[in-house]
Amino acid sequence: MENNPQANSTIKNTLLLAQFEVKKMLFNPRGLIALIAFSLVWMLILLYPISGASTFLINPDFRTVIEGFFGINAVSELFEWPVAELAVYWIAALYLFPLFSIFVSADQFASDKARGTLRFLTQRVGRDSLFFGRFIGHMLLQSLLLCLTVIATIVLAVSRETSLLLPALYSGLIVSINLIIVLLPYTALMAILSLYASSARQATIYAILVWAAMSITIAIINSYLPIINVLKWLLPGSQISLMINTQGLQSFMYAPIALIQACALLFAGKLYINRSAL
Amino acid sequence: MSLVTCKGLSKSYGDKQALKQVDISLNAGNPIALVGPNGAGKTTLFSLLCGYIKPTSGEISLLGHPPGSAALLGRIASLPQDAQLDPNLDVLTQLSFFASLQGFDSKAANAEALRVLNLVDLSDSAKHKPKSLSHGMAKRVSIAQALIGSPELVLLDEPTAGLDPANAKKIRELVKSLSAKTTFIISSHNLDELEKLCDQVLYLEQGQLQQSVSMSEAQHEDYLTVTMQRCAPASLINAVLGLADISAVEERENNQFLIKHNSQQAYAIEIALLQLFKQNNWQYKAILKGRTLEEKLFS
Repeated sequence: MENNPQANSTIKNTLLLAQFEVKKMLFNPRGLIALIAFSLVWMLILLYPISGASTFLINPDFRTVIEGFFGINAVSELFEWPVAELAVYWIAALYLFPLFSIFVSADQFASDKARGTLRFLTQRVGRDSLFFGRFIGHMLLQSLLLCLTVIATIVLAVSRETSLLLPALYSGLIVSINLIIVLLPYTALMAILSLYASSARQATIYAILVWAAMSITIAIINSYLPIINVLKWLLPGSQISLMINTQGLQSFMYAPIALIQACALLFAGKLYINRSAL
Repeated sequence: MSLVTCKGLSKSYGDKQALKQVDISLNAGNPIALVGPNGAGKTTLFSLLCGYIKPTSGEISLLGHPPGSAALLGRIASLPQDAQLDPNLDVLTQLSFFASLQGFDSKAANAEALRVLNLVDLSDSAKHKPKSLSHGMAKRVSIAQALIGSPELVLLDEPTAGLDPANAKKIRELVKSLSAKTTFIISSHNLDELEKLCDQVLYLEQGQLQQSVSMSEAQHEDYLTVTMQRCAPASLINAVLGLADISAVEERENNQFLIKHNSQQAYAIEIALLQLFKQNNWQYKAILKGRTLEEKLFS
């Protein structure tokens, strides 16, 4: 059989690449090991801090400890959450998912580029499709895992108090969307680093270097020129410590930072993939 | 329309200039060979044509479009040197995916992947992961992926290097059988192979295009290349020089002799040579009209 079908549109190829990326992560040994590690970590978090959340959020000693750690009034909103399990989940997820994102999306391009596999792809899809397809694929995968942990938390909350179902679903939805937005710039930055690096490990090291170097530079600039305080918003994740003290729709107030960062990084990545040698 | 056009193409890696002002114009048709010593710039030229890298200066046009443009997707394919498939996914999954990116629906993509694997005799290995394939098998899979969707132009960078003779022969036959629809540009160090396959030979040296030789022109040259089984070279040269219309006889390696003549009569020299061999009981291996590709390029 020999026929030459009509070429796919850029969007169709982008989606095909995204879909294949998810499949690749879920059905290969390396992906599965990462998934098992992820599940075990979350099982521990769900079993201990989250399932016990309702008891210790009411406990004044715990409040003192948390306030001692983050500062008074820095976490006041945490105690306003209608579902205590989701409040604890929110703190854990805000810090753990970006970290997880750095590791899980470090290999968006690195190994394939080093191996020459990208050369098989660039004859069939444009570089834009390749870049955005892989990015969307990694976002889909992380969103899927994130939603699973949110659902597990809702189940825990409802198993304690069935009347919490509706508030838990509502908070769960807001938490999921917010966390997905938080992960966008992380995944976009990892896409660029992964294009530059020759292995996933190297991309992860570059990520650590970028965050460390940027934090130090911003801190130095701030100490000399405090007026340029806004510089800190350049770094992905700089809004996370402030997001802890938000809940409900209020937590969306920091979403524009992550969205603007993601757009800027994706645009830079698009330029970079089109100019780099593959 | 010209298949490939390069104008003033140059590519530098830091201080090293890999290609210098290369001008090429190639038309669709029989396979085209790209030859040259190691480091001559063959792979750089292929990478530029495929759009993997960008030229330092100059222009490239493939089927009227610059490399990497959307209009070329699926119409041009290549066997990139040393590129490997993803080791974690089986061959069929990856080839089907490539086909689906070229516009095949999922069922047709699977069938297309099996068709191209069948062309390189590897349909049995469809479910294997690239890791479990030998070097030669992996190369044939890479050739198979280049044939998905019957592209108009296929660039093969050393397609038979590392293949056993039987499989190398199969690949040559495959290229020959597909060349009615697809134009192949083949880079190789195996001049005998290129001689059998290609009509036009581009010779690249130190980043510059030194010559462009047409195989069909060879037929008009007044040369014969004779390879003997066993004979005394000196007496053969003397005897051949004694024939009419012979202007020179030179011995080449492996009992091979290059005979230059100025006979206007078709087959006169060939008949005279065969009679001479018969008289002296000399066994010949081959008589080639014209010169070998090696002779044309390097003498």
